[in-house]
Parts: sequence; C-alpha cells; structure tokens
Amino acid sequence: MIRYLAGRVGQALAVLFATFTAAFLLLQVLPGDAVMIKFMSPEMGLSPQQIAEIRASYAADLPIWEQYLRTVANFLSGNFGYSIQAGVPVSQQLAINLPPTLQLAALAFVAAVILTIALAALSNMVGMAWLRSALQALPSLFISVPVFWLGIMLIQVFSFQLGLVSVISPGPVERLILPVTTLAIPISAPLAQILMRNIDEVLAQPFVAVARAKGASRHWVLWKHVARNAVLPTLTIAGVLFGELLAGAVVTEAVFGLNGLGGLTYQAVGNHDTAVLQAIVVISALAFVTINLIVDLLYPVLDPRLGSKLGTAT
Amino acid sequence: MLLTRLLSLAAAAATITAGASIAQAADPVAKGGTLIYLEQQAHTNLYPPAGGFYPNGGVLNQITDKLTYQNPKTLEIEPWIAESWTVNGDATEYVFKIRPGVTFSDGTPLDAAAVARNFDTYGLGNKELKYPISEVITNYKASEVIDPLTVKFTFTKPSVGFLQGTSVIGSGLVSLKTLSLPFDALGDATKIIGSGPFVVSSETLGRELLLAARKDYAWGPAKLAHQGRANLDSIKYVVTPEDSVRIGALLAGQAQVIRQVQAYDEKQVQSKNFVIYAPPTRGVNNSVVFRPDNPLVADLRVRQALLHATNAKEIVATLFSANYPLAKSIIASTAQGYVDLSAKLTYDPALAARLLDEAGWTVGPKGLRQKDGKELVLTAYESPPQPQNKETLQLVAQQWAKVGVKLNVLAGDAGSRVADSLDPVKTPVAPAMVGRADPDVIRSQYYPTTRNVLLQKGGVSTRVQGFVDDKLNAFLEAIAAETDAAKRLALVAEVQSYVIDQAYTIPIFEEPQAFAASPRLKDFAFEAVGRPSFYAAWLAPK
Repeated sequence: MIRYLAGRVGQALAVLFATFTAAFLLLQVLPGDAVMIKFMSPEMGLSPQQIAEIRASYAADLPIWEQYLRTVANFLSGNFGYSIQAGVPVSQQLAINLPPTLQLAALAFVAAVILTIALAALSNMVGMAWLRSALQALPSLFISVPVFWLGIMLIQVFSFQLGLVSVISPGPVERLILPVTTLAIPISAPLAQILMRNIDEVLAQPFVAVARAKGASRHWVLWKHVARNAVLPTLTIAGVLFGELLAGAVVTEAVFGLNGLGGLTYQAVGNHDTAVLQAIVVISALAFVTINLIVDLLYPVLDPRLGSKLGTAT
Repeated sequence: MLLTRLLSLAAAAATITAGASIAQAADPVAKGGTLIYLEQQAHTNLYPPAGGFYPNGGVLNQITDKLTYQNPKTLEIEPWIAESWTVNGDATEYVFKIRPGVTFSDGTPLDAAAVARNFDTYGLGNKELKYPISEVITNYKASEVIDPLTVKFTFTKPSVGFLQGTSVIGSGLVSLKTLSLPFDALGDATKIIGSGPFVVSSETLGRELLLAARKDYAWGPAKLAHQGRANLDSIKYVVTPEDSVRIGALLAGQAQVIRQVQAYDEKQVQSKNFVIYAPPTRGVNNSVVFRPDNPLVADLRVRQALLHATNAKEIVATLFSANYPLAKSIIASTAQGYVDLSAKLTYDPALAARLLDEAGWTVGPKGLRQKDGKELVLTAYESPPQPQNKETLQLVAQQWAKVGVKLNVLAGDAGSRVADSLDPVKTPVAPAMVGRADPDVIRSQYYPTTRNVLLQKGGVSTRVQGFVDDKLNAFLEAIAAETDAAKRLALVAEVQSYVIDQAYTIPIFEEPQAFAASPRLKDFAFEAVGRPSFYAAWLAPK
C-alpha cells in the first residue's frame, strides 16, 4: 500500500513538473509577452531604449533556458513573481482569488452531486413512464445550456425581476446562491447521464433478478446492490470534471463579477501575464493530480475486488 | 446654494442628454450615503501617468488632486493646488505658488518639495523603481524648490503644453510614500496616497474598491461651486464585466451609476427615466489610420480613395446614437483649435473608384482590385476599449468592398495584436483615438516617439522600413513649442488639413465616455476629457 502510494505521488510530481515545463515553453512560443503588451502599447509612449531597460529589469532579455531556471528556482522558493499588468505580486493575487474559487467549485460540486443523485433516484423510483423519461431527458438539456446564458437568466429573473437576491453587494451566503446553481447545473449533467445509464445496465444484470426473486424490494435492491456498482464509473468522471469546474468558473465569475481564479485566468490570458499564468497552471495541475489521486484511492473502498489487488501489491 | 447647483449644472449641461431638469436645482443637497458605481473592467496599475485607461482614471480622479484645474466648459486652466503661476516668454520656465495647508491622506504636507518630487518622477521617470515617463510632459529638465510653497520647473526646449499637462489625470499628485514604492506595487489602490476628496479605504483586488470621503478636505478647485468635503460619505466600485448585469442592476436599484453603456442600450435606460451621460473625450477622434510604410497604402491616391469610400455617416447612424457626433476633422469639435473639414471628408464612391483606377489598381475577376498580380487586401485589428470597434471596422470593410478593396478585421489575442500593430506590413490599417483637452494631443497621437499611430520610423517599432513625414513632424514640434496661443491654434488648423489632405486618417466619430445613472444621482460631473468626478455628487432620497 505504501509503495503504491509513493509510486502514485511520484507520478503526480512528474506530471506537475512536466506541466510546469510545457506551460513555460508554450507561453514563450506565443507572440508577444506581458512586457510588450504593457509597455510597448502606444499609450505608454516609451522610447525603444526605455523599453529595453524595462525588459532588462524584468529579466525578460535573458536567454530562454536562463529564464526557465530562474522561474523554477523562484517557484521552488515560493516566489511567483509580479503580475506585470495588474501591478501586484502574483502571490497576493492568488491569496485573494484562490479561496473564493475553491469555495465556489466545492459547493458547486456538492450541489451537482446532490442534483445527480436526486435525478437518478427519482427517475428510478417514479412509476409514471412520462415523468421518468422527462427526468431522464433533463441531463441532456442541462448539458446544452450555455453557462453564461444560464447565469444571466438566473440574475435577470431572481435578482432583477423578483428581487430575491442582490448581485451587486450581496451577503456572504447570498452571493453564492446563484453562482453555485449556475455552475452546478452543467456539471451535474454528465454525472447524471453516466449514473443513470450505469443503473440501467446494472439493473439488467442477472444478480438483480436473483435478489428480486429472493423477495428484496425494488428500492432495497437499488440502494444495496445497484447504486454501489453504478457509482464507480461516475467517480472517474467526477475526477475529470474538475477541469470543467474551472472552465465554468471563468464564465460564472465573469457573469456574476466575482473575484476568483477564473476571472484572474481570463485577464492573465488576455494580457499574456506569464507569471500569473504559470502559477495558475501549476495550481490547476496540482488540484487535478490531487483529485485524481483521491479518486484512485477511493476505488478500493467502494469495490473490495480492487482493494485485494492492491493488498497483494503491498 | 441655488447658485451652487446652477453653476455645476451648467458645467454638466453640455454632456447631459436626458433626464436632468432645472427644476431639480431647487432640491436641497442631501449629504452622506454610499454611491455604488459599477465599472466594466478592473483598474490596472494606478501610477498616475498610467491613468489614461478609463477604469484607472475613474479611481484616480477621486483620490488625487492636480496642480491646476481645467474647466471642462471653457477649457481654461484654473487654480487648484497651485494658487497662481507664471510662465516665461519661451515656455521653458514655470513657477507655481502652492496653496498652503494641503495635506496628503497620510498626513504629510503637499508642499513645493512634494510637487517637485512628483513632477521629477513624471517628467524623468525612475529607472530604479521602473517608473515610465508621463506622456503629457515633454522636454522636462528639472525642478527647483524656491521656498516651501514655491516650485520652479525648467525645460530643455519650449514646453507649451505643460500648464495643461499639470491638470490631467496623469499628473495627479501623490505622497512621497507612494513614489518610493516600486512600479510593480502600484496596482494596489490602497498604496495610492493622494490629497483628493476621497481616500481608498479598502480593496478586494480586481473586484471591489471602497472610497471614503476625507472629512478635512478643504482644497477643491477654487472656482468650483462646491467647496469643502465631498457630499457623499463613500463610493463603492464594483467590477461587473457583463453589460446586461450592469444595466439590470442599475435599473433594479442595486447600483446608482454604471460606466460603459453601449449605444444600443441607451433607449432601454432612458425609457425607465434613468440618465445617460456621454461626456466628450475632446481629443483625437475615433478614426481609422493608415501605415504608409506598407506599400499597399503608400500611394496617396489609394488612401484618398479609401477615405472617400468610407461612409462615416452610415456608421454613426447604424451603430451609434446622438451621443456619438459625426467626426468633421481629425480632432473633436469640442477640442481646442478644431476646424470643420467636413468638405474634405465626403463619401464619394465614384471618386474613390476613379482614384484607385488612376493609381493602377484595376478590378479583377473576383471584384477585388489588383495591380501587378497583387490584390488590394488590407488588415486591421479591432481595439477592444473603443465602443463597438469590431462592428465599426466590419462596416468599414463592407463599404470598402463596394470599391473592390478587402479589409480583414481580426480580433486576436493581446500579444498578437500589439506585435502586429507595430508592423506596418501586417497592419496597414488600424483604429485609433486618444482623449486630452489640449492641442498637444495631436502631437501625442502622430509623433514618432509618442503614440506614433502612422508608424513612422524613429518610434518603438523595429519593423518600419523608412516612412517618415518630416513636414508633419515639423508641424507637431511647432505645436509643442509655439508660445503664442493664436499662432499655436493656427498651426493646429494647418495640421488638421495636412493630415486629411495626406489621407493619413479617416475620422469617424467623436468618442464620448458613456455612463448611465439613477435619477437620484445629482451633480455628477466630469473633468475635461470625460473622467467622472464625484466630488460634488449627492444622492437624492428615495
């Protein structure tokens, strides 16, 4: 078990390092850089000599490999550099923007899971065929709703028309209601689709018929036998969906004017703010790797067969 | 009190298009309260010379004072932090008398030494702290503190625009504590310590900014009707990028003023009795400029043809509103030295076609003009800060297509846009505008070492092969140096004609900065180039 864990952590670190390097190289390949965008834009009215000096002061005139080594060293020592566009240290931007995004993403994820389970359970428990197919069609609808449209609609209806929640200076809980809903709906869609399909597949398995023949009620079979089997593939998708959460956060944060990693990414991409992007890529990769590690470690808990394989490895 | 109201109303009258009525002048001023201001974009670095960016100007104008005040109505320079001043005959020496008793919000005095240090920084930059030089200060040499309330500035060459330059957003005075911080730390608004009527009390970077009124403020522009502290207690800036959310929140009463309202949203706002403010930016008009270094547009006849193929009237009528007046010169009709050149800016596709024929560009099989096997295909990048710039350029492209010229309009990322915009081969055409209420703005826009919109050789770009217009540059240098006001305006008139005769620029409309506000917001004013001022503003009770 420990060797397995060490191996997985090692893999995760390798992925992180590769991501860091790839991000660095890709950001170098892009035309222009933050120094150019900020200081060579005509509004600044600077002379070529002044620009060369600024370039030197940001160490942007060094050869690429030297810049790379400096960036690695800085990151290892926890120094993320300055955002050239915003004029503040990147660490300060992260300190302000990371917690709200984590909060939004976590709550949206929880809400999405609740919504998924509710949909799957309802669609398997209601008797009426038309209601059942209506519930099963919902995820397809959710998946095709653009996040920005959904956000704007929710704001228009619940804030501007009904006046139930304020968008501009909301309270700490009030500010989360609409964004979490906006983000949870599209995230729940693929989860619900997969969970529903798996439940159907498991229900068709012979052991279900056996259990039912032994006198188990439909609900009991659903919860005790089917749910456990159907949840595994859903969990895998849940790990992958983290990327969607971040992408959805970009739009949600822009529509609701929330501060967060999404908005920060959007601005940094627009301005080629390399230092900010580099930090965001590393943080996202870290989160991705961690979540997938947790998912992998959860498998044996849910399915003892996977656990025994692990057991023999230790 | 009535006089107060009338005077400030008069100052704003030119800019208000609906809603405000003189009857409101009798309302008693309600003091206190928090104004909620929705901004489209977060501010960036707040080093005052970088205040040109609209969101930055909107913040800096409340928290910093300027040496002089430019009356937005008369464009005269009036006393503010400077009580009086003298200028020598050739505009190489300026002496300012500083108003006594002014302090920055950190308690340090705003005296001659502080003013000297501010302008030394803006005029010369600071390599160590990475401060760039201010766009509005030219030929700066040095400062000299004559006594605690008298400061003298000297220039290497005549610098006529300097007096007006002391009144702009970019010359906001800040505490020495602020000027000792590195450039990279000035994106944090709480670090910008000014002497203005408001003080930054807290900030959530990129999201929210809270300004509080300074209770001991007693040094507003001397000739302004409102004196003493600001009427409002505080202003809350909330960054709300989405257009529909800003407008919806305003109409729903969750905010009282919003910046950046597109022309197509104006009716919706006005139909609910909310007010649109569209103060002019009084500088170089929203235009399309050519980069004659590119062989495709090097021929004067080609540029003239495209000028006459552009129907600016149709653009304004299709995309904009009455708040966007049709351009009649390269500078706005509200700018100093403006001359009506609309006779030279006619829409005449027949003339355009003839000029292109004469230049040797004949219509090819696909309806596209060709010469020596080359097609007349031009490219421009949209400029996101300009109102509906993409739509404007696309309409220009449609109009040019009628005479057989293709214009590609690219969005592009910021990096490609800036890189390609410095290369005349890649961007023979570009959108351009800049606001400043002094004739020096023309020099800022066209001179090689400043904004250099035509991409002459000698600027930042290394891609320019050899295009230089010495005659144009001589005009621009003369405007910067001419000390006689009448002669200076004559030069401004000449340069306007010259730029149009050379068809370097196709002016389209006079760009305003558009705001919408609740009818409760009174005495909302603007400085000379359309940045908001909340000094005298107040909120009527619901």
